[in-house]
Amino acid sequence: MSRTELAGFLGLLVMLGPVAAKADYHLVSPYEIDLGEIEIEHNGSAAVDRRKDFGGANSYTAELGTGLTPWWHSEIELGTDRDSGSDQPTLLREIVWENMIQLTDPGLFLFDYGFYFEYSQSLTDGRYAASNQATFGPVVAKEIGSTIHTANLFFTRTFGPDQTTRELDMSYRWQSRWNVWAPLSPAVEIYGDAGTVSSMPAFSGQQFLAGPVAIGVLKFNELGLGTLGRVKYELGWLFGATPATADGTMRWRLELEIPF
Amino acid sequence: MISSAVMKGLFNCRKLRMTGAALAATVLIDAPCASAEDTPIPTLVFQNHRFLPDRITVPAHVKFKLMVRNADDSADEFESFELNREILVPSGQTITVFLGPLEPGEYPFFGDFHQDTAKGVLVAK
Repeated sequence: MSRTELAGFLGLLVMLGPVAAKADYHLVSPYEIDLGEIEIEHNGSAAVDRRKDFGGANSYTAELGTGLTPWWHSEIELGTDRDSGSDQPTLLREIVWENMIQLTDPGLFLFDYGFYFEYSQSLTDGRYAASNQATFGPVVAKEIGSTIHTANLFFTRTFGPDQTTRELDMSYRWQSRWNVWAPLSPAVEIYGDAGTVSSMPAFSGQQFLAGPVAIGVLKFNELGLGTLGRVKYELGWLFGATPATADGTMRWRLELEIPF
Repeated sequence: MISSAVMKGLFNCRKLRMTGAALAATVLIDAPCASAEDTPIPTLVFQNHRFLPDRITVPAHVKFKLMVRNADDSADEFESFELNREILVPSGQTITVFLGPLEPGEYPFFGDFHQDTAKGVLVAK
């Protein structure tokens, strides 16, 4: 099966099914395939807000990924979340299968294209029962000199017995990164969730975050930890720009890449 | 699979319309001009976990292709922070890396699986 056939199949699969928005604060890049490497990754975020209903939300993931082919990166993720508000527990909520399919060779065209697909299986029940979800959409990137600009446009559907809506949710992400120095480069990111496609709320009712992020990569041999592998990190602060968004969200990412 | 070979014929100044269920909206791509297509394709070789040559000159301000062949008996990865590339090169195989346009200058690259020995510099001028 070719990469375009696989992307099309996964997209159709999602459209056939019957969304609740869930913010994931990291960009999907069409460049990171990691063929021949094992990737161990952690993503986290923590929201801060004086309003009781908006503060206190946080999210932690543990992920294991690799390149399955020269154009297909796949990961398995365990997701732990805490909802906003007081007296909320931190729960292991989901297991997620993430896939990034590189549709064009980097640098071949004016833009670089990928297709992202993930399926999330809820692990909660009872009072905290949640739906299963599928998220998919295009990934587009453009290199301009030493800067890289990446955009994600994702749609999410919910499935399963705890499905709360049959609507399609739309979210988007943007990152502009300036490759200054491998251990530390600056970036600006935007994350938005426009809500359900059929009944999109006014912008003030949507989630919208933007802010600076520091990105870096350190080779193990530079850290005295052997000759193979490296650690990548991202650390940012996102300002909430609408009343529907927490005032501030810290996000971080830590990734180990080890050749095998 | 949209392979490099398939795309080769589309690399000149043409418009390519990609359709498919994957992309609900049609994406229109303006394929870039390949102004360096007529020049010889520079080639790097992984050999004894080093790059041969370890310094290669390419034209600045144009897009170009770089071939990377792995003559070693183990895989390695062509990687460069400055060029934003990280591509596995299996043993005995050759990959194509699409690069540019680059500003004049020096762009270091290395073999990620043999970082101590596989190092090189691409010079754009």
